[in-house]
Amino acid sequence: MALTLPPGLTPPEVAFLCEMELVTVIPRQRLEGLQLLGGPTVPLIPPHRTPLPLWLALLLKRQNRANIFPPPWLSPSSLDAILQLETSSPEFSDTPPLPRSTTPVSPPFLPSATADAPPDALPYHWLELSTLLLEAASDDIPSADHVRRLLRDLREVRMAKLRAGVEVLEGGREVKMNGVGAMEVSEGRAFIGGVVDGLRKLGAGREISRREREGEEGGLGTGGEGDNEDDMEY
Amino acid sequence: MDIDDILAEVSGDGSPPETRDLQELTRAWVTERSAPELLPWPSDLMDRVLGRIHQQIEVVEEQVGNVDPKTNFRLIIIQTELERFKYLVRSFLRTRMAKIDQYTLYMLSNPTQTARLSACELQYANSHQTLLEAHYRSSFLSQFPTSLQRLDDTAGGISMIEQPDPDAAVFVRALRNIEEPVVIEGTDTDFQMRRGDVYVVRWSAVQEHVLSGDAELI
Repeated sequence: MALTLPPGLTPPEVAFLCEMELVTVIPRQRLEGLQLLGGPTVPLIPPHRTPLPLWLALLLKRQNRANIFPPPWLSPSSLDAILQLETSSPEFSDTPPLPRSTTPVSPPFLPSATADAPPDALPYHWLELSTLLLEAASDDIPSADHVRRLLRDLREVRMAKLRAGVEVLEGGREVKMNGVGAMEVSEGRAFIGGVVDGLRKLGAGREISRREREGEEGGLGTGGEGDNEDDMEY
Repeated sequence: MDIDDILAEVSGDGSPPETRDLQELTRAWVTERSAPELLPWPSDLMDRVLGRIHQQIEVVEEQVGNVDPKTNFRLIIIQTELERFKYLVRSFLRTRMAKIDQYTLYMLSNPTQTARLSACELQYANSHQTLLEAHYRSSFLSQFPTSLQRLDDTAGGISMIEQPDPDAAVFVRALRNIEEPVVIEGTDTDFQMRRGDVYVVRWSAVQEHVLSGDAELI
């Protein structure tokens, strides 16, 4: 049966993607290594910190078999500093620096939520990740309520930027959106994509006349080729 | 830098092949969900992934019924992961199917597009189209004048064959530094894409970079 969803990931799909992020757990029970489809897991030996995908960490946490070590950026002091940064600039704050690697790795497979993630930058899945962690493991996060408040502020500041960014949209041009989060892409896609598409259609006449002019110039220069293109258009 | 870092640099990113396949499949799924047109079928990747899912199901079937609580919990983890993988594959296939349904005639009439289908998808597209045509013909087309019976008429400057919009806006992220500036055709715009950059731009401008693996859709 064919999928009936519109293009682009929906919020539940973004959350599914986010559950592949690696987090650090502190096991409370032993668990031998497992041969999973996504690669073998490391054996869990308390109290050694071990990186695990979020879905597995949440499963262990719900059964009280492990604690989750929150990523360093999910703390009041880090979030406060990032919030300062966000309010002082019209652009999104920088994402964590990319590791040097010969194969191109991208979120959710970057180690941006483990215990040794940089404390001063929001990763791509910041919103979903912090929501899931606060929901399932709020007792592992120091001053969870303060963190919740800061996250809400961050979200508002960034949403305002996303809306304000629409003003710079211009027909046919590219729009740079470095630092945007996964959930923000999912929420903004229909609107931003729609505006970019709409402006392009409004500017389509200008583009066609430009192509024709270029075709004519090309035709004068090389002879023949440009004329053929014209024939095909009519 | 310790020995692990050095090893990691020598052998790609040091992750086992299963993990790399999961990353590839996830990327293929996200890109397929976001791209306006159907992308080439990753046949080697899918063969490997489907083979492993098959094996894992056998492992589960062998161990189910084991009453030892320790094994039982391991089985829960394995099954949870299995379900996640199956969801990923299913959503990927269903996304492709939706595009095949929408652009059947375009894909069947265009050799480069047809080559992007897997054997099963090609069979599906053909039989779907045959059924649809037979149904239209028996229910109303046969009563039309012969000149109006075609489903792929392109006369009058308007084509009946629906095509994906190559200029639809997409969110793209560069995976490597792209040396050549990306040019948006028909405008005098070009821009540089460095690793990690995110842009909203029309699909036709970045299509080749996405297909070559230098960029991904998000």
